[in-house]
Amino acid sequence: MARKSALTPALIVIVGFLTISPVVMLVAGSFSEGFGAFHGFTTAKYVEAYTDPELSAILLDTSIFTLGSAAVATLLALFLAYVNTRTDIPFKFFFGIISIIPMMIPHILFSVSWVLLLNPSNGILNRYLMGLFGLKEALFNIYSLPGMILVEGLLDLPIAYLIIAPAMSAFDVSLEESSRACGASAMRTLTRVTLPVLRPAILASAILVIVKSLASFAVPSVIGTPGRIYVLATHIYRIIATGFSPDYGKAAAVGMSALVASILLVYLYRYLTSESDRYVTISSRGFKPALIDLKGAKYPLLGVIGLLSFVLIVLPVLVLLYTSMLPYIMVPDAKALSLMSWKNWGEVLRDPISLLALKNSLMLGLVGATLGVILSIFVSYAIVKVRTAASGILESLSFLSFSFPGIVIGVGFMWFFVRTPLYATIWALLIGYIAAYLPYGIRPLSSAFVQIHSHLEESSRVCGAGPFTTLRRIVIPLLIPGIVSGWILMASMFLRELTLSVVLSRPGTEVLAVQILRFAEDGLWGRLSALGIIMIFISSALVAAASLLGKALTKW
Amino acid sequence: MEIRIRGLTRDYFSEGKRIRALDNVDLTIPANRIFTLLGPSGCGKTTLLRCIVGLETPDAGEIAIGDEIVWSTEKGIFVPPEKRGLGMVFQTYAIWPHMTVFENVAFPLKCRNMPMEEIRIRVARFLEFVQLDGFENRPATKLSGGQQQRVALARALVAEPKVILFDEPLSNLDAKLREETRKELRRFLAGLNITAVYVTHDRVEALALSDLIAIMRAGRIVEVGDPKQIYFRSGDRFVADFIGRANLIKGKVAALEGSHAVIETDVGAIVGLNPRGIEPGTEAMLCVRPEFIRTEATGVAGGRNLFRGKIETLLFIGEAYEGEIRIGDTLVTTTISPTVDVVEGGDIFLSFDTDHCFLLPA
Amino acid sequence: MKKLALLLLSVVLVPCALASDPTLAKKEGKANFYANITAVEPIMDAFSAANGVKGVYVRISTTKYLATVMTEFEAGKLEADLLQGPLPILQALKEKGVLAAYRSPSAAGYPSWARQDDTIVQFGIEYVALIYNKNLVKSGDVPTAYKDLANPKWRDKIVMPDPSSHATTISWLVGLKEAGIFANDKEWRDFLKGLAANKPMFVNSFSPTPAPVESGEKLIAISMPKYIITHPQAPLDWARTGVLLGTPRGVAIAAKAPHPNAARLFMDYWLSRDAMKLLADKVGEYVLAPGVFPPIDGIDKVKVVPIRELSDKEIGSWGKEFHKIFFAR
Repeated sequence: MARKSALTPALIVIVGFLTISPVVMLVAGSFSEGFGAFHGFTTAKYVEAYTDPELSAILLDTSIFTLGSAAVATLLALFLAYVNTRTDIPFKFFFGIISIIPMMIPHILFSVSWVLLLNPSNGILNRYLMGLFGLKEALFNIYSLPGMILVEGLLDLPIAYLIIAPAMSAFDVSLEESSRACGASAMRTLTRVTLPVLRPAILASAILVIVKSLASFAVPSVIGTPGRIYVLATHIYRIIATGFSPDYGKAAAVGMSALVASILLVYLYRYLTSESDRYVTISSRGFKPALIDLKGAKYPLLGVIGLLSFVLIVLPVLVLLYTSMLPYIMVPDAKALSLMSWKNWGEVLRDPISLLALKNSLMLGLVGATLGVILSIFVSYAIVKVRTAASGILESLSFLSFSFPGIVIGVGFMWFFVRTPLYATIWALLIGYIAAYLPYGIRPLSSAFVQIHSHLEESSRVCGAGPFTTLRRIVIPLLIPGIVSGWILMASMFLRELTLSVVLSRPGTEVLAVQILRFAEDGLWGRLSALGIIMIFISSALVAAASLLGKALTKW
Repeated sequence: MEIRIRGLTRDYFSEGKRIRALDNVDLTIPANRIFTLLGPSGCGKTTLLRCIVGLETPDAGEIAIGDEIVWSTEKGIFVPPEKRGLGMVFQTYAIWPHMTVFENVAFPLKCRNMPMEEIRIRVARFLEFVQLDGFENRPATKLSGGQQQRVALARALVAEPKVILFDEPLSNLDAKLREETRKELRRFLAGLNITAVYVTHDRVEALALSDLIAIMRAGRIVEVGDPKQIYFRSGDRFVADFIGRANLIKGKVAALEGSHAVIETDVGAIVGLNPRGIEPGTEAMLCVRPEFIRTEATGVAGGRNLFRGKIETLLFIGEAYEGEIRIGDTLVTTTISPTVDVVEGGDIFLSFDTDHCFLLPA
Repeated sequence: MKKLALLLLSVVLVPCALASDPTLAKKEGKANFYANITAVEPIMDAFSAANGVKGVYVRISTTKYLATVMTEFEAGKLEADLLQGPLPILQALKEKGVLAAYRSPSAAGYPSWARQDDTIVQFGIEYVALIYNKNLVKSGDVPTAYKDLANPKWRDKIVMPDPSSHATTISWLVGLKEAGIFANDKEWRDFLKGLAANKPMFVNSFSPTPAPVESGEKLIAISMPKYIITHPQAPLDWARTGVLLGTPRGVAIAAKAPHPNAARLFMDYWLSRDAMKLLADKVGEYVLAPGVFPPIDGIDKVKVVPIRELSDKEIGSWGKEFHKIFFAR
């Protein structure tokens, strides 16, 4: 339709402006002779960056790390989402929350928690297991590639879960039933029907996690560096840290490989899901998926999930609670117990900057996520339903600043915002957040859009509703699971956003993560953990409110 | 209302190739009739329907519904679908899962800002019309396929449009329900003063339901006519073959006999209707449908349209045998009454009904 | 000759002419202090309380310092009135014309090497020492010289910033060589090899070094004594290994300071004995104000020496050198 064709270019302009601008700055910087954005053209930085003999080993480790994290996050999410949406397992709400908790934890805290649990010298869990089995050596070494993959995979689990779970619950059950009726076993149905139909969601989650872990810094820095395992993000950090006039241009030149990889992944995804019609699953028939009766397997499965969520997610959070009550980090023993108090909590709650940060972050989370989701609805619509060559450009654009390693993109945004009147205001943070994390809104919403048959909106148009009424009365109500997922992802991301904030936040616009980073830099782990737990509580409240609201609005 | 389509063209681009979905289509759909667009999949019938309703934009041409031009490339007119005042039933029914039956059917009226009281009365009337009274508060997802189909029909009709469009609405129903619904649909539509445009690839559906059928192939309208015309007197080989099972035998017209003609074929001389008035001496095709070939146990020598053949295959399909009979080098398909005593490999005499086989241009 | 005289005159006169005016400063209302030094809130509060001018602390981490300041400066949006950072960074800013000349009367008693510059005043040294867990390391085992860290008994017990990339640590290792702590180049290299053979755990900077020592994951760190003050309850102490080395910390006024009088007022306060005492007492910093020491046992008796300023190129090539030693497989 005529209006559709105008929508995509308009969005390309908006999204492009938001996401390209910082990236353009970085590209300019990577070709610039000076260390700022524009100082004469040179390719020397690329030559230097890509002739580094260490780079190939780093790229190999980076690939293992990102692919491994994507596998861990996606498989766990598939398992949890399947059990949560398709079986009659008890305590569903609880497991649903558990699956998205890691998203609310500042990554640096979660990584430190795991170091305390699994370091080879005196890791709590390692010591416990050594005592249990009478071992001389620690069983696990967190400072390793598998350790990094585990922690990053867990941190990215919520992204995968929030993309896969809505798809799973919107699944047209008749597809499975017809497979069963054809004589296929439950296992065969799962592998030949359920998983292939869910392919867009699975691919979307895997790709998002790959891109996310490519840009991730906390895990490689807290766990990788001590293990002397360097990935792209820490390699870039080393380039910046060596010397007092850090060359962000050279760092950007290295970061370009992450950018190129991400864009290729987006196109791969589009290619693999190009026959969009094959995956339309919401029609109207048999919409409510039937629950699988687990029968005898119910309690063993509950045990497995319970143990898994306890060890992987609850335990690290408990470690945080424990360190929040200590004056400094120590192994649990009698002395530690005697030193425990609420002092850190008191100091955090009396600290005016922490309270201001709390207020700012809450505002950014609520307003930012809402605006971000609204923009994402339009962008996803153009990507999924209009589907011209231009929408491919739009989709890649939305990934641009997201896929750039965090340390560098922050500077790109600074180079960009300093040219606008928004610099050093909270609006720069708001716009920067939305631009940088647009994929968090777009991915779940595109998956949701893919599942809405175009007939549902077309019939509304024929019935006499204009495009806007159709959006409001038909499309948005059907999108609610996707909207809730996107909003949760964005809101909890914005609550703990560090990458941009650390560059753009100024006195008066402090946010939670910046305050957390300061506590970390000052080695105040107690206050850090206390503030971290406060963050988890706020995020959980937001998530619970959003989920309940979503449920109330989803009558079907 | 009458629908007039002039020079409609629509191209698709798929994997770098240009595919012409509609190729300069001219068509007039008369008012208050059931008009079917019939053709194999990919012939452009759905595209044509979607152009009429406004869900797709043609590359060239003009569409007028009644007195209003709703699309014209030349004049730069595009009336969006919601302003065309049509009703449509989709292949998937497109029932909105987040609404009840009432909300689904009331939607077009709400879009027209009708007062709630009136909406209630009108919806009740149409639900009764489609025999779904009492289902108002049922969630749309708790309906069977047939019920959803009727909700979709009620929703398409509730605003009393002058034109209603159907996009293969029966293809998702099982065979038995499809037959019933077909009859029902014909009854519903007959009682209304409405132009219905119906898209299907099912020839039986088209024949049973339509006042007029347009057959499409590769983006063009090949032939338009009423069901009997199309079935018995088609002027096109593709149409003759598509609308029903047909034996097409090539030959040359030898002589005219009033409305009939004699055609010289490999099988022998055959007499058939000549509705197109094909001149003697020209190449032509004889079309004879299996159900109009009679079998005779013994042949009366020299009888007209009587041929001797050999049964190659014989398939019992319940109400009849389906047989392939070889006459010389030509293989003819026919239905044979199950009461006739025949065996594979046996000889048989076939007689073509002169009034029910016809000539068409080669 | 005339030019020289003029230059000399201006050096003497200009700073005098620009001495701070407290009433104007009050009118300006605030002074923005861009700093990489941490936990200075008590000094900001004390300044605000004493002068009725708000001291605003803008904390910027070292790796982003130059990029941030230069970006703002080039866009004409540098909000800073004062800039505090490691000496090499301030030197770079001075070369770009970001800094203004000012001689604060408060700097009078500082050592002469710390105020040779008419623009940057060095007020402290980011001093580095071996920090150990006093509960877990027996007193007899505590190193008494840097070379003790190469003793194989410390294998898998050390944590330190990555010596191939962390600029301050690279400078420190080079400083050990140049300060004559080791008899000759070979001994210094043997120390490095021994340290490398002990497989120290690497982290990104100094700030993550105390945590593993506190928790007992590692026993000793190449770290900073100031953590003994900022983590008062943690079982940390520093090894008396003789001379301590560190990177000088400097402070200067911005050339286009939006609040110039407040800036000078703040500078005068910052360099005062009161402020430096707060810095030493509350933050554990080693300061150059005469007679002021952090309340860490023995620090007043040890010699703390600034490391020669290394260019980024030097740091880069030493980083490569250390990479060969520490990352050898």
